[in-house]
Amino acid sequence: MNKERLIEKLSEANVRAVARLITLIENEDPLAEEILKKVWNKTGKSYIIGITGPPGAGKSTIVDSLAKFLVEKGNKVGVLAVDPTSPFSGGAVLGDRLRMTGAQSSGIFIRSVASRGHLGGLAATTRLLINAVELLGNDYTIVETVGAGQGDVEIVQISDTTIVVEVPGLGDEVQAQKAGILEIGDILVVNKSDRPGSDRLARELQMMLSLGDKKEWESPIVPTTATTGEGIDELWSKIKKHQGYLGKEKFKNNRLEKLKYELENQISQKLFTKKIVEIGDEEISKTSKGILNRKIDPFTAVDNIIKE
Amino acid sequence: MASKGKIRVLIAKPGLDGHDRGAKVIARALRDSGMEVIYTGLRQTPEDIVEAAIQEDVHFIGLSILSGAHTHIFPRVIDLLKEKDAEDIKIIAGGIIPDEEIPKWNDMGIEAIFGPGSSTKDIIKYIDGKNIE
Repeated sequence: MNKERLIEKLSEANVRAVARLITLIENEDPLAEEILKKVWNKTGKSYIIGITGPPGAGKSTIVDSLAKFLVEKGNKVGVLAVDPTSPFSGGAVLGDRLRMTGAQSSGIFIRSVASRGHLGGLAATTRLLINAVELLGNDYTIVETVGAGQGDVEIVQISDTTIVVEVPGLGDEVQAQKAGILEIGDILVVNKSDRPGSDRLARELQMMLSLGDKKEWESPIVPTTATTGEGIDELWSKIKKHQGYLGKEKFKNNRLEKLKYELENQISQKLFTKKIVEIGDEEISKTSKGILNRKIDPFTAVDNIIKE
Repeated sequence: MASKGKIRVLIAKPGLDGHDRGAKVIARALRDSGMEVIYTGLRQTPEDIVEAAIQEDVHFIGLSILSGAHTHIFPRVIDLLKEKDAEDIKIIAGGIIPDEEIPKWNDMGIEAIFGPGSSTKDIIKYIDGKNIE
């Protein structure tokens, strides 16, 4: 598919074209940038739901049930599911789709995304991938992170509503007190609620939430059993509630904040690349040797180089 | 053809038999050779497989069938890819496919068939040899 044809097909919300654009973005192909420039005004129109949590918590199964539920309510839904890339081979087995057979047969667009070495729970290009999926004209885009650790909080930078999925049996209440992933949930889900310990986990989470300062939005805790779909309607009503809480103004402000952050990132990335090329390998090696031999400290060295 | 980047392969297990060990071994071997493998699991219909392959923008579909259902499934997948204007996605297959049928399937559009005893190295070599940019 050449560029013109791809743009034409994208304007018709053609699935193949959107899939191809996603590939181009993932590969950081310069063509992706050109195409996104042309279709940019058509993006940004879906409500973004982020789902994160530890490996095996049931994120994909929840996405499956939730996506199906949304479609039955007459919405159009797209799904991006991120799985980790092997740091050794660069390859990946992307298995989220395995749990999404229900969504798949409801005609929902699902794309498995490899993290390709990016840390934080997402792929580096995730935000642009969302924009690509939005060309299908969906009302909701659901983004599932890799099985996340305590520090993988990047999802909050791209979602309008962030859902953190927890399961019983992973640790005591001190885990719930720690900073990190639990703090970012606009909604906390206790999945596998048919298992022993789930009531206790819900109570511990509740306690954790009640200890802090009172917030404008208090994250609700929703018990689910994703495999049977139990609790999904409740989860949906909480998402709606959060969406209502944000209203037009907060929603816009949140997005603006995130865009500012993103823009800063992009600028610093571009300046960084430019500057590194300008400075050149030789200068970097020379200065590093100086630092190694304690001839110069790294702070002065950096100042010197940037001033040049 | 997707541009330079990772080779993406969809591994699917159509039909009703539940013997997915082979499919999993292949998925793992391809991963270890640096490819991105979308594993869709058991009991996939040809419609599911082709739709998934298009959404995932894969270069190859790998079908694992041990039940004899390939006589029904192969032609259906081939037709659906044609229908969806996605014939550039190549089909490879593994499992129990009688030797005497292989030339026929090759003619119809199954690019390569790897039966019992095939080495994962051969499969990787085959895919790499296709020179996906």
